[in-house]
Amino acid sequence: MTNSIAEIEQSECMLVVGSNTTEAHPVLALRMKKAMRGGAKLLVVDPRKTWLAERADVHLQIKPGTDIPLMNAIANVIISEDLHNKQYVESLTEGFDEMKLAAAEWPVERAAATCEVDAGDIRKAARLYAAYKHAGIYYTLGITEHVCGVDNVRSLSNLALITGHLGYEATGVNPLRGQNNVQGCNDMGNNPVYLPGYQEVADGAAREKFSAAWGQQVSEIPGRRLDQMLDGLHDESIKAFFVMGEDPIVSEPNVEHVHVGFKKLELLISQDIFLNETAKIYADVVFPATCFAEKEGTFTNSERRVQRVRKAVDAPGEARTDLQIIFDLAKELGHDWGKAQPSKVWDEFARLSPNFSGINYARIEESGIQWPCPDVSHPGTKFLHEGAPIRGKGRLYPLDHIKPWEEADDDYPLTLSTGRTLYHYNAATQTLRNEGHREKQPKSFVEISAEDARELNIADKEEIVVQSRRGSIVSWAKVSEKVRKGVIWMPMHYAEASVNILTGDGKDLKVGTPEYKLCAVRLHKP
Amino acid sequence: MPTNTLTINGEQVAVLQGESLLDACAKMGISLLTACHDNRLEAYGGCRTCLVDLDGAPRPVPACKTLTSAGMVVSTSGEQLETVRATIDEMLECIPAAALETWTDANRFIGYDPQQCIMCDRCVRYCDEIMQCNALEHVGQGVDAFIQPTQGDSFLDTSCELCGGCIGTCPTDALYSKQSLKVFNEQSDAVLSSTRTVCNYCGVGCVIDIESQGNNVIDIDAQTGVGPNDGHLCSKGRFAWQFINHPQRLTKPLVRNTESGELEETSWQNALSIAATKMLDIKQRHGADSLAFLASSRCTNEDVYALQKLARAIIGTNNVHSCAAT
Repeated sequence: MTNSIAEIEQSECMLVVGSNTTEAHPVLALRMKKAMRGGAKLLVVDPRKTWLAERADVHLQIKPGTDIPLMNAIANVIISEDLHNKQYVESLTEGFDEMKLAAAEWPVERAAATCEVDAGDIRKAARLYAAYKHAGIYYTLGITEHVCGVDNVRSLSNLALITGHLGYEATGVNPLRGQNNVQGCNDMGNNPVYLPGYQEVADGAAREKFSAAWGQQVSEIPGRRLDQMLDGLHDESIKAFFVMGEDPIVSEPNVEHVHVGFKKLELLISQDIFLNETAKIYADVVFPATCFAEKEGTFTNSERRVQRVRKAVDAPGEARTDLQIIFDLAKELGHDWGKAQPSKVWDEFARLSPNFSGINYARIEESGIQWPCPDVSHPGTKFLHEGAPIRGKGRLYPLDHIKPWEEADDDYPLTLSTGRTLYHYNAATQTLRNEGHREKQPKSFVEISAEDARELNIADKEEIVVQSRRGSIVSWAKVSEKVRKGVIWMPMHYAEASVNILTGDGKDLKVGTPEYKLCAVRLHKP
Repeated sequence: MPTNTLTINGEQVAVLQGESLLDACAKMGISLLTACHDNRLEAYGGCRTCLVDLDGAPRPVPACKTLTSAGMVVSTSGEQLETVRATIDEMLECIPAAALETWTDANRFIGYDPQQCIMCDRCVRYCDEIMQCNALEHVGQGVDAFIQPTQGDSFLDTSCELCGGCIGTCPTDALYSKQSLKVFNEQSDAVLSSTRTVCNYCGVGCVIDIESQGNNVIDIDAQTGVGPNDGHLCSKGRFAWQFINHPQRLTKPLVRNTESGELEETSWQNALSIAATKMLDIKQRHGADSLAFLASSRCTNEDVYALQKLARAIIGTNNVHSCAAT
């Protein structure tokens, strides 16, 4: 997030795109609710009628996968009606003319037809977003999990830059992180092209710094992204897979294909708190690890705040902390790193990563600090891009519509989208083990519009088969006003109705993020 | 921002416009007792616990609900105030006499004990103002009053999102966590402790307190004014902790028996040794880049820093990624 969570209360206008915030980030949504209570305008872009969408000033219930035409059209309205911030654009951005030309390819009426929304609503949304000073954008995986995920994000940053809506309270571009330490996991360099602290593997000086600190030469060969690792299973260029706290055969798309790859592996090591599905079938070695309540360390939240995690109870049996396991394995591999002390590990990271150097355990004992925080006298950073974009000039991108990997057709006439509910979490290894949450939402369901249900002669709560070109699963119909005609929606939480049996091989063309948010399916009776 | 200067107990204090007498007292270090007040809710003035004397007012005023203005002269103690406060205390204690006939709700999370309820309506207001769910209502008047899920249904059938924010704001034990009551062992003399940490679900990073009895987690709650969540939690954050002490947790390393194909329990030394030997063997035969490492965005910064360091500095590959890339 470029902004802080508490700032959301100061919003005058919020543009929420592809985020069912009240279910996926319920506590952050409370700040939005408060802003709404105070009169803030709410613009929601979502194929589903979410809690926020129902209460929005404008709900653009777009056809899935048409975000860029919509954002281009909004940019178009803002520019053609002279609502853009000319001074900001002139002095603090680059690429305006090209971007403007590309956006001009999407007049409101054309976008309205492609996105299947009302042209008047597009104009209204554009005018509201441009009109207010404190206008922030909030998005999640509804934006990123597409073949054009990166460009979708750019289409949003275009809007922020042409209006100058960046660099002060409640105003910026804010991805809401889906998991407790998504932010930190990236910050720490668990990325094939970034070393810790976003220092590039391609940067020789950065490699030298880490090589010197670790006493071992860091390879200059860029690593593989997760999707490329999975590809490597198939062509057998990947022989060993170390999987920490993940369950790829549940969480990766096109599961049947993933199975084929895993069968070819020579070695799978799994480190987890439960015996997950991947480990059950494929692991050669399983390390019993500890959950968050059993260890010391830090998580970094969506607003870049590094906060202390503390041990409340002992791990069960012989389970060891994740850090201890990695230190033990390092030793077994011939490298004695000494005692596994979280604070020392943090200090090593912070020393090598300038944007984090000012953060240490003593400073975050009472409350967390938001990076960038370059030295110990720095208070941390509430919002980014103050005064000007960090890179000097904000880059505007010329963008065009990119069609999804798979669109509905005569054989598979419905578009399936997937996501999280309020009561469960991802593969639900934790929440389905809670009686109350299991009872509240015990099994998979398929949200379907009344119109589609009628046409297909499907009754509410009826057992149905959902089939895609990859496979099929059994679930239960939930006739709902949340979804539009032609679109169905399923939660991703249920192993017995794993939606990733259905999802396809589409992935972002630039960074490989899977297109979980849509694939073509059909429904039939069992 | 414009300020007002007023006098409290003979001393002058400057406060911002829009602040209440309760805020002004807090600024001077005078902590007035409150019951119906929660900083996160609109001032209510329902319980009258925080009454103070205000010059010119015909009777004591509730500090929480009285906005400051310049020149106010306020006193927080005095004989008459003490008498009024004693009466209010009595009233608060006598309220729960009725309304014993209450809801027995099938939900597993939120319980209600009307004996403890002082009808401050914090829960009802929380559900209305903060959650905007309106899943709780105040029924009846005086000694017959109680609260219930809106229209008397079970919480499971209302708009309730089972966040338990009503429990969080309740100043007594009228609203309580059923899970905690079930797990808490009254007979045990195991140490009770409270550990401040961060929730492990979404990326908001709510600061939580894990309450434990010995090695058992018995509750999770949050404190107003602390962390990005300001005391708020969602249903998962507050209640989905049974997995921690779950019997299916892994407690021993496992290795696959190459003959039977089954995973079998083994010693740490054996598991580590097999893992390391095989990793080094594969590195030698196929090169460092034939190994891949997937870090978890559920683990701590320190855990995942160490994992990428192991991949880069020991194995010698940049094949490190995580699901965090979406």
